[in-house]
Amino acid sequence: MAKKKKLITYQQRQNRHGYRFMLPWIIGFLIFTAFPFVATIVLSFTEVRQTVLGFDITFIGLDNYIMAFFENVEFVPAMLAFLGMIIPYTFVIVILSFILAYLLNKITFLRGFLRTIYFLPVIIMSGPVMYQLIDSRSYSERVDSFLGFSNIFILQMVASYSKSFARILIGIFEELSIILWFTGIPIILFINGLQKINPSLYEAAQIDSANSWQILWKITIPIIKPLVLVVTIFTIANLGTFSINPVYDLIKKATENTSGGLGIAATFSWIYSFVVLIIIGIAFLIFRNKEKVRRHY
Amino acid sequence: MMKDKFIRMIRARKFQTFLKLCIYFVLVCVSFVYLEPILKMISMTFMSTKDVIDPSVDWLPKSPSFNNLKVAGTVLDLKKTLVNSIWFSALLAIAQTIVSALTGFALSRYNFKFKKFWIIMIILAFIIPVPLLMIPRLMLFISTQNFLGFNLIGTPIPQILMALFGQGVNSTILILIFYNFFNLIPYSLDEAAMIDGASPRQIFIQIAMRLSASTVLVVFLFSFVWNWNETYVTGTLVRNSIELLPAKLNMFDSAFQTYASAGRGSAQFRLNEAYKMSATLISITPLLILYSFVQKHFIQGIENTGITGE
Repeated sequence: MAKKKKLITYQQRQNRHGYRFMLPWIIGFLIFTAFPFVATIVLSFTEVRQTVLGFDITFIGLDNYIMAFFENVEFVPAMLAFLGMIIPYTFVIVILSFILAYLLNKITFLRGFLRTIYFLPVIIMSGPVMYQLIDSRSYSERVDSFLGFSNIFILQMVASYSKSFARILIGIFEELSIILWFTGIPIILFINGLQKINPSLYEAAQIDSANSWQILWKITIPIIKPLVLVVTIFTIANLGTFSINPVYDLIKKATENTSGGLGIAATFSWIYSFVVLIIIGIAFLIFRNKEKVRRHY
Repeated sequence: MMKDKFIRMIRARKFQTFLKLCIYFVLVCVSFVYLEPILKMISMTFMSTKDVIDPSVDWLPKSPSFNNLKVAGTVLDLKKTLVNSIWFSALLAIAQTIVSALTGFALSRYNFKFKKFWIIMIILAFIIPVPLLMIPRLMLFISTQNFLGFNLIGTPIPQILMALFGQGVNSTILILIFYNFFNLIPYSLDEAAMIDGASPRQIFIQIAMRLSASTVLVVFLFSFVWNWNETYVTGTLVRNSIELLPAKLNMFDSAFQTYASAGRGSAQFRLNEAYKMSATLISITPLLILYSFVQKHFIQGIENTGITGE
C-alpha cells in the first residue's frame, strides 16, 4: 500500500507557511530585541565587569538607580534637557507639519517640487550632520540671537511670567530649521491622509454654506485625528531614537567603559527608554480618550 | 441684478487668487527655512579663511576658493571612507530588503495564528529606543566572540546578522512598505499558481518579487540611506575599525588637529567653520546625488506604508 499522505487543514497550512516566512524576523526579534529588553532591566540592578573569560555580573540592588539620580551630576540635567526638548519639539513638529500639508494640499502647481524640498532632510539627516550644524550656529549666532530674541516685547512678557518657558520658546525659534527637518515624513503622511478624505463631504458642507475655516475644524481635523496619533507617536519615537541628544552621550560614555560601566549604562538607558515609552503612552491615551468621547455623541 | 452677481463672482475669484498667492508665498518661504542649513553649508564651503572672519561677508564669499573642499576631503580620507560607507550600507540594505520582503509577504498572504500579536510586536520594535537594546546586544556579541575565538566587534558581522534577522534600522517601516505593496497584488494570482502546483516559495519569488521590482528598489534605497546615516549602533559595534564617512565626520575636529599638526602648523591653518561645513557638505553629497535621481520613489515609498489609511 502506498504511503499515507498526512492531511492537514487549511488553517494548519496557513500557520505553517506563514511562520516559515516570518521565521527570520521572529528569531531576530527574540534574540536582538525581546531578550535585550528584559536583560537591560535585569542588568540595571547589577554591576557588570568584563573579564578575560566573559562578564562578571553581581547583583547590587538599587545602587545604580541611586547613583543615576543622586550621585551622578550629569544624568538628571541631561534628562531634563531631553524632556525640555522632546515635548515642545513634538508639539511644534506635529502642528507645523499639519499646517504645511494642509497648505500643500490646496495648491497644484509646484506641489511636487515643494514636497521634494520638504522631504529632503529625511535623506541627509544624521547625527554627525546635525551636530555640525548645531555646533556651527552656537559659534557665531547663539549669543547674538539670544539677545536679539530677548528684545522682542512678547518674549519679555513671557519671561516675566516664567523664565524657563521663555527659554524653551527661544530654543524653538533658534532651532526652527533643525526642528523643521523632522517634519519630512509627517508631512507626507498628512498629505496622503488629506487626499483620502472624500471630497463630497466638502461639497455637502459648502452647499450648507460652511466657509473653509469651518470645514477645516468640523470636517478635516476630526477625520484626520487618528492620523495625528500615528504622527505624534512616530515623531516621539523618531526624536527619541535620534542620536543628537544629551542622554545618548552619557550612555555611550558608560558603555565604552567596559571595565565596570555596563551596569550603569543599562540603568541610564532603561530610565531613558522608560521616559520615552511613558511619553508615547501619554500621547496614546490623550488621543484615545478623545476618540471615545466623540463616539458618544 | 445680473451685473451685481457677476461682480460678486469676480470679487470672490480675485479673493481666491489672492489666497492662493498667499499660500505660495508662505510655502516658498518655509522651503527656504528648510534649505537654509544646506545653503549656508554651500556658501561656507567656498569661503576662504579671510571671508570667514570678515563680518561683512554673510552669504556670498568675496574671494571664493576650493581650498576648503580639498582640505576637508583629505582630512576625511574621502576615497577610503566613501568606498567603505557605500559597501557597508549596501550590504546591510540588501540584508534588510530580503528579510522585510519575507516578513511583509507572510503578513500579507497568510492568516497564521497570533498574527495580530506579531504585528503589534513589529510596531513595538520601532518604538523601543535603541540604547535600551544596545548593551545586552553588545554583551551578547562579546560573549560570542570570546566563545568562538575570533573578533566580531569591529567587523560588520553583528550588524549584518541584526539586519538579516530583521532588527536593523527602521525595519518596521520597510516591512510596512512591503506589506502594503503585497496587499495590492490580487490574491487570485496566487491561487492560479497554487492550482498549477506552485509552492509558497515559488509564489513568493515568481509572483510577488517579480511584480514588486520598484518596491524592492524603494526599500533598498531607504535602507541604504538610513544605514548610511546611522551612527549610534555602528559606533558601538564597529567602532573605528572600519572608517565610515559619517563616523569620520563625527570626529572631524580631532582628525583635523592631527592633520594640521603633521607638518603644516602655520598660524592661518587653524580649524574653522568653513572646514567643518565643507566636510559636512562632502558627507551629504552622495545622498543628495542619490536623492536628486530617485526622489519620487522615496516619497511614494512613505505613501505606500499605508499607515495613513486602514
